Amino acid sequence: MKRSIEHFGPEQIRRWLPLATLVILVILVGLAQPTFLQFSTLVELASDTAVLFVLATGVTFVIMLGGIDLSIQSMASLASVIIALSVARFGYGSFVLAVGTGALAGVLSGVVHVRLKIPSFIATLATGGVLFSIALVISRERSIMLDDASREYQNWITGKTLGLPNVIYIGLLALAFAHTLQARTRFGRYSAAIGAGEPAAYASGIKVGRQKIFAFALSSGFAALAGVILAGRLASGSPTLAAELLLPSIAAVVVGGTAITGGVGSIWRTLVGSLIISVVRIGMTFLGVNIFAQNIVFGVVLIAAVAITIDRTKIPIVK
Amino acid sequence: MTAIAAAPALSMVKIDKRFPGVQALKDVSIEVRRGEVVGLIGENGAGKSTLMKILSGVYQPDSGAILIAGDPTRLANAADANRKGIGMVFQEQSLLTNLTVGENIYLGNEAQFTRFGVVNWKSLYAAAERQLEKVKVDVDPRKRTEDLSFAERQMVELAKALTLEEHAAGHLVILLDEPTSVLERVEIEILFARVRALRARASFIFVSHRLEEVLQLSDRIYVMKDGAVVAELLAADASVTMLHHLMVGRTLQAEYYREPLQKPFREEIYLESDALTLGNAYRDISFTLHSGEILGIAGVIGSGREELTRTLAGFAPHDRGKLSVAGREVSLRTPAEAVDCGIGYIPRERRVEGLVLFLSVAANITLADLARLTSYGLIDAGEERRLAKDWVDRLNIRTPGINTLCLNLSGGNQQKVVLAKWLNAKVRILILDHPTRGLDVGAKEDVYELVRAVTAEGMAIVLTSDTLEETIGLSHTVLVMRDGEITYRTDAQAGHKPRQIDLIGHMV
Repeated sequence: MKRSIEHFGPEQIRRWLPLATLVILVILVGLAQPTFLQFSTLVELASDTAVLFVLATGVTFVIMLGGIDLSIQSMASLASVIIALSVARFGYGSFVLAVGTGALAGVLSGVVHVRLKIPSFIATLATGGVLFSIALVISRERSIMLDDASREYQNWITGKTLGLPNVIYIGLLALAFAHTLQARTRFGRYSAAIGAGEPAAYASGIKVGRQKIFAFALSSGFAALAGVILAGRLASGSPTLAAELLLPSIAAVVVGGTAITGGVGSIWRTLVGSLIISVVRIGMTFLGVNIFAQNIVFGVVLIAAVAITIDRTKIPIVK
Repeated sequence: MTAIAAAPALSMVKIDKRFPGVQALKDVSIEVRRGEVVGLIGENGAGKSTLMKILSGVYQPDSGAILIAGDPTRLANAADANRKGIGMVFQEQSLLTNLTVGENIYLGNEAQFTRFGVVNWKSLYAAAERQLEKVKVDVDPRKRTEDLSFAERQMVELAKALTLEEHAAGHLVILLDEPTSVLERVEIEILFARVRALRARASFIFVSHRLEEVLQLSDRIYVMKDGAVVAELLAADASVTMLHHLMVGRTLQAEYYREPLQKPFREEIYLESDALTLGNAYRDISFTLHSGEILGIAGVIGSGREELTRTLAGFAPHDRGKLSVAGREVSLRTPAEAVDCGIGYIPRERRVEGLVLFLSVAANITLADLARLTSYGLIDAGEERRLAKDWVDRLNIRTPGINTLCLNLSGGNQQKVVLAKWLNAKVRILILDHPTRGLDVGAKEDVYELVRAVTAEGMAIVLTSDTLEETIGLSHTVLVMRDGEITYRTDAQAGHKPRQIDLIGHMV
């Protein structure tokens, strides 16, 4: 006990701040609007968080390595268009096609980043543009509603099991998969090593390039999965379906306490971060804040989170 | 000598400085008189750089005093040291090559040429020209620095240091940190002539590895060893051998390098190179490395031994010749390929290439061989803990626990973690690249002890070291390199150790 008190320094505060923030936010919104704490509202909150969480989980792998993936929202939108166009013909194969396209796009970003030595934010900004254009072209710049036959295939997303919406289970599966990958596999360990000290990881014989490409494939694949879920929930696909999700996703990762500089982080933190973003979003709706003003809040929250989580005395130069 | 009578421009009195696990400076006192050139010598790790960093305001001493013209003072940071008349000419030149010479000279001090936020470039360049005249170097201050030769840049650095006299109240003291390492002979002569001519304006502290040059330029010389000043003498009374002897400070102590523990190596050949060549770095390097053998490579900077080391570790593949590991020809294109061949690398930049500082002791120890801990794609966490604990015990790594971040360990214990990583990966060949750099005496002895223990069990080692003494003390065989070629090879088994002087002749 004494030990834990002694060690409650800035490091500990940084570690537990996100969870404390989440609890306090829930209590605050609950005090202002008691209906918020009803079971049905909380279930709704969890369902709404799923898409954001899946998107944020993917990009967590890249951020752990010290990189960034700015193409995720375009990839998610493209995935929704792929579903809308192909589910009638391919049935469940359409989901595989969408997520596979995502993984492939990620490999492409990764190869551009690693082999051509182009900073990840430029590489993914570029692939993001390409993906967005592909989505525009194949959808002929319109939003495509799913017909009734296509909606049949969306039941695994829109349905309920044991009284809870299936999206919540999908989110939990994504959590279990990503957490295992990150905490229990070589890829996860290598990612942390590369993010915290790439030269030492390289000198230890780790195939750094391969790990990075895999991380981008994951990021983009998860983004496609998020797009698939979104298409199911909204029963449509559109090249701008996920257009407002990049900022909240990256905010979720960072608010959760994963360092934007790489090396430190976890999927659990991303879960906490995603819930914080969701509570803020829904809380604002409850409190009557204009929905279009939300990104102002997310922008401010992102900057505040980075400012708090990074010990900037250790970083003399920021570019 | 007139310098003796002159008043002290700068004194450092009883300076102590500790870093985690290392006493970098103990009870160091140094005095620089007006117009004097003071030489400062010592091996790597003797404390010279720490002392220079204290003088330039980068570090604060733990105790002791700094006096400028007799007044106690505190050098809060580099700018503060500058204001108090202490300038620095760096080993790695600090000029920004994309700026012009004039911009570099007045970088950060443009205010004097600025009105309403606009810099009057004409007057800045005129002033820069006057500065360049002081050091008698004929370059156009409007030229971009990247178009200058290294020698010219060094002169520009000196000119820049001399701008301090415009705002510093007292006499200047300029630190010259290895200023000659990139210069040709003639350029060195010119630099020295300028320094001598400038003694009316400034005193100098001259830090160098080149003892002849220190003797040539300095009035007085301080010798440092293991963080303390061990001798102070007039250059007129000193000789190169005498300085070298004082620096090394012990005639080869067999005990220190655990020579009685040195066993003859075995028959089995682990590594063989035949006429290995890489561009202009090294040529026709041939050697065999046996199980249990330590092969020391001696040579000065530019001899090619650093590049050869990097090749063996997988960072810079050779382009001609043949390299074989256990009889199989290989080309090591990446460290990963070297590791696959059973080669581990203990780098000089321990905190950059050796360890991931922000990972735990356990994660670092298992980093190079996680495959063995993985079944069905998952790392066996219990087995990892057991292995890590085992290595911590066997190598006597002093750490609060296996989950402690390596960041929090002392240099010697960090080095043990790097070694544990390779022992855990079961490599058979270790490339030791300056393995005791920055370690204090006790930690060095721990490393020597471990090196003896692993070679006794059959590990083969290629060693490059900061000191010739260490190379000779540890090795079974010594190769001497000069200008990219092997100039000498000698047996160095216990009882047949060559003398340093025998090797130096082939190095320079």
